[in-house]
Amino acid sequence: MRQFGGRWAPYLYVAPIVVLAGALLYYTVGFAVWASLTDWNGLTRMEFIGVENYERLFADRTFYIALRNTLVFMVATVFLQTVLGLLIAVIAKERMPGANFFKAIFFLPIAMAPAIIATVFKYMFEANYGSLNETLRALGLLGEDDSILWLGADLGVWSIVVINVFAWMGFSMMVYFSGLMSIPDELYEASSLDGAGWWRRLFSITVPSLKGTTGVLILLGIVGSLKTFDTVWLTTQGGPGVSTHFLSTFLYQERLNRDAGYSSAIGIFILVAAFVLSLIQTRVSSREK
Amino acid sequence: MRNQKTLMWTVMYAVLCLLAAMWIYPIVIAFVESFKVGGAGNYEAVLNHPRFDYWSAIGNSFLLAGGSTVVIVIISSLAGFAFARMRFRGRNFLYRALLACMAIPVASVVTPLFATMNDLGLRDSYVGVIIPLVAFNVLVMLLLMKNHFDGIPQELVEAATIDGARPIGVFTKIFLPLSGPVLANVSVLSFVYCWNEYLLPNLLLSSESKFPVTAAVALLQYERMSQEQIGQLYAGLILMTIPSVIVYLFSQRYLQSGLTAGAVKS
Repeated sequence: MRQFGGRWAPYLYVAPIVVLAGALLYYTVGFAVWASLTDWNGLTRMEFIGVENYERLFADRTFYIALRNTLVFMVATVFLQTVLGLLIAVIAKERMPGANFFKAIFFLPIAMAPAIIATVFKYMFEANYGSLNETLRALGLLGEDDSILWLGADLGVWSIVVINVFAWMGFSMMVYFSGLMSIPDELYEASSLDGAGWWRRLFSITVPSLKGTTGVLILLGIVGSLKTFDTVWLTTQGGPGVSTHFLSTFLYQERLNRDAGYSSAIGIFILVAAFVLSLIQTRVSSREK
Repeated sequence: MRNQKTLMWTVMYAVLCLLAAMWIYPIVIAFVESFKVGGAGNYEAVLNHPRFDYWSAIGNSFLLAGGSTVVIVIISSLAGFAFARMRFRGRNFLYRALLACMAIPVASVVTPLFATMNDLGLRDSYVGVIIPLVAFNVLVMLLLMKNHFDGIPQELVEAATIDGARPIGVFTKIFLPLSGPVLANVSVLSFVYCWNEYLLPNLLLSSESKFPVTAAVALLQYERMSQEQIGQLYAGLILMTIPSVIVYLFSQRYLQSGLTAGAVKS
């Protein structure tokens, strides 16, 4: 290619994004690394203390609870979103009447703010007068005076999984659906002639052809789990006690406790995990090409 | 054969209906609860709430999401053009260094970000929220723009440069007119992402009058809530969802193709 735009002009084109995004984000990350090595209240008084915050982090019981919850959430949401998304996409591809209507229902939550979805679920899941328990009582599935603690220590993380699947399953469905559209019809026709049934075709053609799509969805789901904050913060806020903390809410709680240095150390842990995972994602998706 | 197909469709419909019921349940509940105690008066009460101002929350969300979207579209298309079609020292390094930032979760840097915005004197201002909204969302859009520009035939560029067009002319007269659908994808995605953002406005805004909908949800909640207040909360949540649903209805196609493209290409 010829020189285009001279020597300096290109830099003018990229300057806005480099300053607004690049410079701000790298500065903030650098700041976070430094802050994680200090005792800091968040605004003033910053004192260097070396790796003390990290030592404290790896000895903190709450950190392991938050890590476990984040991992449970990661595995459960990724599994449910991919399986349900694939199932619905495959059914919708049969082009039965009404398929588009169903697709629209499952996709609708994508347009709704997670903060609003989470708040609706919070009140729906409430133990005493919440609608879900009321519905179960009305159906006779739950005793008149019984309640299920949907947002309690035992079930809280699973309820948060449900909220996230409600919000994001439509995304997997859509991505799978567009993947299905790119599988050539001849593949199916050939195997129908060979007498392969619907299930055989699903597992011998559809699922293998969508391997790349599945890989991308799994990795996006994993990285998304590390970013999940609002759904947890707006429902359980990490409670009761610290039982449903995720890494992100644990970090935020420590920030509110004016322990910003420690909070930054948790941030660096999340950041490193996110970078490693997205490196794997880049590897996987470039191998697919 | 015919019977088998009927059976198959019946099973498929049953599965779809069961799942759809689970997806519709929360929405129906929100509607029913918003009317149960207090009736339609709940909607009136929310619109005349002492603390929560519906129109200002919607206006703030439009301002933050709209403002961010305009900035994102302009700077990502300019940079995408340069990265796709110009040669300059450090191009690949800069591009990779920018894309690496896509992985940064907002939550991981909240306190340093807060302190930085404070130092810049931008805390509790619209600009102070728009800048990080742009920073955290623009890089995926840069990827989409550059991938699209990469695919525009080089002959078009050469024909124009022979005719004496300058780079900015090639950008505005050739590249932008050929980018309608991608620009629509990028705009809709940016708008929805920024509208839905919860953490940044909550972190950086302190005046309730500047709260967008995601932050204003908190203004309708109290320590102990009466059944009537819960009804009002649901009414408020429904009212705040209406703009999202309207945007969704008008842009469904671009939202779907944008999300899919972002997933497959990243």
